[in-house]
Amino acid sequence: MNLMSTQQNKNKADQSYWGTVKRQFNKNRSAVWSLRVVYVIFFIGIFADFFANEKPLYCKLDGKTYFPIFREYAVDLGLASMPPELVNVDWLNAGYESVLRAPIPYSPLTKDWDNAYANPTKKQDTRSWRFRHFLGSDQLGRDLLSGLIHGTRIAMLVGIVSMGIASFIGILLGAIAGYFGDERLQFSRATIIWNALFLFFAWFYAFNTRMYIMSDALTESFGGFCMQFLISVFLFGAIMAIPNLIAIPFKRIPFFGKRVTIPIDIIISRTVEVLNSVPILLLILSICAVVKKPSIMLIMVIIGLTGWTGIAGFIRAELLKVRSLEYIEAAQSLGYSQWRIMLRHAIPNSLTSVLITIAFGVASAILTETALSFLGIGVQSDVVTWGKLLNEAHADVSGWWFAVFPGLAIFVTVTVFNLLGEGLTDAMDPRLKQ
Amino acid sequence: MFLYILKRILYFVPTFFVIALFTFLLGAIAPGDPVELKLSSGMQGSEGQGQVSDKLAGEAAYRELNTKLGRDLPQFYFTITSASYPDTLYKVLRKNERENLERLIDQYNNWPQIDAYYKSVKALELAAITTQTDPADSTAFSRIKAVRESCNDLYRNYDDAVIQLDLKKINAAVSSTVQIADSAGVLHSYQSLAPLATLNTAAANAYSYMREHPANSLKYKPAIHFYGLHNQFHRWLFGDVPWFGENNDPTRSAKGFFRGDFGYSYIDSRPVSSIIKDAIKWTLLLNLIAFIIIYSISIPTGVSLAVHKGTTYDRVTTAWLFVLYSIPTAWVGTMLIVFFTSDYYGSWMALFPPYGLGKIGPDYTMWAKITDRAHHFILPVFCIVYGSFAFISRQVRGGMLSVLRQDYIRTAFAKGLEPNKVYWKHAFRNSLIPIITMFSSFLPAMISGAVIIEYLFTIPGMGRISYESVGERNFPVQFTILMFSALLTMAGTLLSDILYVVTDPRISFTKKEG
Repeated sequence: MNLMSTQQNKNKADQSYWGTVKRQFNKNRSAVWSLRVVYVIFFIGIFADFFANEKPLYCKLDGKTYFPIFREYAVDLGLASMPPELVNVDWLNAGYESVLRAPIPYSPLTKDWDNAYANPTKKQDTRSWRFRHFLGSDQLGRDLLSGLIHGTRIAMLVGIVSMGIASFIGILLGAIAGYFGDERLQFSRATIIWNALFLFFAWFYAFNTRMYIMSDALTESFGGFCMQFLISVFLFGAIMAIPNLIAIPFKRIPFFGKRVTIPIDIIISRTVEVLNSVPILLLILSICAVVKKPSIMLIMVIIGLTGWTGIAGFIRAELLKVRSLEYIEAAQSLGYSQWRIMLRHAIPNSLTSVLITIAFGVASAILTETALSFLGIGVQSDVVTWGKLLNEAHADVSGWWFAVFPGLAIFVTVTVFNLLGEGLTDAMDPRLKQ
Repeated sequence: MFLYILKRILYFVPTFFVIALFTFLLGAIAPGDPVELKLSSGMQGSEGQGQVSDKLAGEAAYRELNTKLGRDLPQFYFTITSASYPDTLYKVLRKNERENLERLIDQYNNWPQIDAYYKSVKALELAAITTQTDPADSTAFSRIKAVRESCNDLYRNYDDAVIQLDLKKINAAVSSTVQIADSAGVLHSYQSLAPLATLNTAAANAYSYMREHPANSLKYKPAIHFYGLHNQFHRWLFGDVPWFGENNDPTRSAKGFFRGDFGYSYIDSRPVSSIIKDAIKWTLLLNLIAFIIIYSISIPTGVSLAVHKGTTYDRVTTAWLFVLYSIPTAWVGTMLIVFFTSDYYGSWMALFPPYGLGKIGPDYTMWAKITDRAHHFILPVFCIVYGSFAFISRQVRGGMLSVLRQDYIRTAFAKGLEPNKVYWKHAFRNSLIPIITMFSSFLPAMISGAVIIEYLFTIPGMGRISYESVGERNFPVQFTILMFSALLTMAGTLLSDILYVVTDPRISFTKKEG
């Protein structure tokens, strides 16, 4: 009896939209396998330091016990400092009393001079098989496998950061364009006039007077710049709150209270058109030429800031459908504000379909970043990326391992995300499946 | 139809303007002084220890080139700054000095005092150059040099500590006394650089006065200055030579973006238009070849896949096409170069030249020319083709499938038409639409893809010069390519929209009445 009711509950749950999608998705073998590979890639990216590191996991040196990798994390978090006796240790060759090394005992930048340009198929001059360069090494003896493992982290970061930014902008703007269309977004004249007046001052005080603070922060670090930029944005928001408060009493006056329609759909669609007509790679090239110290972080942000158009288009089309459904009308007749209905009722209902664009977006973001680092643009010398590794083959044709393995890593990742997108498309919209 | 096209073209105007504005903004914040860069590439260092005539000649050369590049103009139609900035700041000649003055204004906000300080340093520098040194005074030359170096330093620094240090250095140089024996052999101690010392005191006073009387309230008062049409942005787009009639003003030389004048390369002073003309030829040629190949193989492939839907042939090929589509161009190109352009992995594997376009000798016959070029083009064209081929084949297959399910196809079969006629004449025409949409996304992909492919195979096309100008910070070339690719993309979008209407009479973009 009990068993049957749980069974029933389960069946009931499966009737939901998500349940259907999941069932459809699980039928698609290649998509399921891609998802598993994505998990593995994430796992490698997150725990890269434990897979490939010149520092041991545990070691005993001069009678003292250390956990160097964990210690490194603590130092990075500012919780501890490196013991002075460990600062100049040659981790690879130190005379440990006992040691437990990471599976690949090399960091991506560790130089193993004895095995410079080691060929993975030939004999290598290493102490034991544990120290073998399984996928070869470069002219300075830097291990390729270790570089690939740490490059995974960068690739994942590119996918997450750029698509995070793109999703935020794309969902918001796409939803506004789709939900309000050209006729539903209305403001009173008072609000528009006051906002237009204050827009100038808000921009002036938030950005113009703080221009040098921001540009100085940018020369220091990109993170510092983001911080200062957020302060400016906050200031901007604070100033823009004033006109909206002032406008409240003015709305009572009939002339100022009259509502004006803003054709927001046209405005957003124009913006999308502008962005779509600039080839992204050339845009990033131009920006990197102008910025003094381009970094991976900057590239991720640019990809995010320019890559939201696909997501916006998707959400817009969804909301155009959703906004005429009965439950939205019900919410409207209950007197909820348009913004509340859009944010709490319309958007959540159409979010699942965005997953498709995000999956494809991650693939193309990774491709763009790889192309850039392949060209040697925007990568610092201490960061190892797949594109950078691939480029080493271009410099010297005798190192075939640099042509094969990094390219394979990029290819697998991109394919997996594309397959995931394909699988999601099939699962969510069975009509498209042919 | 005509109205629709006109409307679309009108839509381009704001889009183009936004892109132009963005590009101009990038150029405005770009580091470095192009005038300085060009002068230093032309002749070696007139800065520093030269004679009066050198200094003045350098200044004149700078002024001339600055005017020629239009950099003596205000940047935009208007500026919005805080009230502490004067509206004539753009008249300060050198870019680094101007930027430094802006920093000082940002710190102290009192332009009259800053201006006084700046002029006092200028006077000091000029005096240092023109001062006739006493031949008996052996240290005078090195001390004057120290003064001039410190002055140059003052132009470039806004940090209080650095300025104080420089002023001290100048003070030490000009106030030290020397002992000179007169004709009678008696030693006289005197201040040989006394006029400079007065000027230095004036500069130091001006500086401390400026520092002690900041006008910080001005910083929070916005000011808008209008400059009219005679500005850098307008000059860049429209030029300053009159559109109709004679040009009587020799200082005006730019024709502007719309008349094909894109400025001059920073590196070799060639006109950007000629650089682009040389480069775009190769990019277009490569992509045209690739384009023809892509469509001529992917359409039959797609159609045959759709016809054989569900068979093993269809499933395997579709899966392979998907894989092919996901292979990054950089990887394929690298693999091809590594394995097929050198004899490192076997003597027969050096099948293709690794880079370049090949050298065409004057004695080559037509046939030899073509084969040599083709030999060089095979790998790059392959790199362009494979991905798009996979993508477009899949699209054609999808488009065909949705058409093949329709009733009129069944009718066509039922009345006994040949299958080939049904597929190609009845079904294919209607499945063309998705292929046409791709046409618009093809152009930007072509330009972006060109960067990687032309970098790999060293082809002097648009992508290659774009990549190179990033490294060289050759902004006129870089930004012109950016603008060009945006224009090409917009043109592609328009073209595909028009083709849409042509292929499918049901689609109409003009609203029907009623």
